[in-house]
Amino acid sequence: MRCKKAEKWISLSLDGRLNGRSCGLLEEHLRGCPSCRKAEAGYRSLQALLRPGKEDSPLPRFWERLEPRLKEEQKLVPLVLWERWALHAIPAFVALVALAAGLLFLTPQTPEMSQSESLLIENANPFSETRGLFEEKRPEARSMMLIFASLDDKPAARRQLP
Amino acid sequence: MDEKQLARLAQDGSQAAFAELVAKYQSKVFSMAMSFIRNREAADDAAQEVFLKAYLALPKFHLKSEFGTWLYRIAVNHVKDVLRKRGRAREVSLEDVREIPVADENAMEKAEAERETEARKSLVQRLVQGLPEKYRDILTLRDIRGLPYEEIAQVLRLSPGTVDSRLHRARKMLKNRLAPYLGREGGSHEM
Repeated sequence: MRCKKAEKWISLSLDGRLNGRSCGLLEEHLRGCPSCRKAEAGYRSLQALLRPGKEDSPLPRFWERLEPRLKEEQKLVPLVLWERWALHAIPAFVALVALAAGLLFLTPQTPEMSQSESLLIENANPFSETRGLFEEKRPEARSMMLIFASLDDKPAARRQLP
Repeated sequence: MDEKQLARLAQDGSQAAFAELVAKYQSKVFSMAMSFIRNREAADDAAQEVFLKAYLALPKFHLKSEFGTWLYRIAVNHVKDVLRKRGRAREVSLEDVREIPVADENAMEKAEAERETEARKSLVQRLVQGLPEKYRDILTLRDIRGLPYEEIAQVLRLSPGTVDSRLHRARKMLKNRLAPYLGREGGSHEM
């Protein structure tokens, strides 16, 4: 066994994390290696120096000092929660408004088409409906046709100027 | 009543239940803070802060892990913050070590041995404070506080294999840093 590996195993053996076979191999190595024996003794002494003699106790009246602080903090909890909520909610609201504004302004708007344009798109003659009106010879009949046509017509949508 | 029941009651707003948990863990948390901070007043203050943080974070405790492990995690993180703020995580200078009182040659043998042990303990603990953070933390939890491997793995969020290897490196580093001082005192490597 190499000394490097032995040193690692020494560390494991300090915590009792070395299995039986490995323990045997390590002991065998330690018997023949003075430098690793020295290292092992060093690690054990170091561990003994690190381990405190007894558990420390905090300063007196620990709970009595803590309790009023807990009550104070408890009062602040709703405020803290509100602050946390607001911190998250404000950017979310701003982002939502920006998104809505973006959708409103960036989506291309299709202008409403006039009746003539609709007819042209459908490949129909826009003058077909008015032809009868122009062909009518009698002025009374033409007036009546104009009156009825104006009653039937919806208000014509104006084409938007570019 | 077991810890989980107490934690559940504390989550529901029972201060009496939380008081019981504090009574059970105050010495452990204080000792842990003391191991890192090495000042009674500061460690006591840190322990109070740890319990305050735990109390406020109780709704986030899902009772999956042990209450003690969860509390230790808060404690370790808080103590690390304290040390960072205080700038204590620095290398130990040679001057620091020279300040340690050495045994009086004329004093009685037993008292001399005790003083020498204390001086060495103090030196070792100072050297631990000077280790890189990750090594200092694991060494403090294992060799000073004696936490089991599994708990260390949970507190530091490490795999058991990483705990093994990091602990070995930490011990080796500490031993190497201690060697020159022991040599200067004329002692053997066996301390």
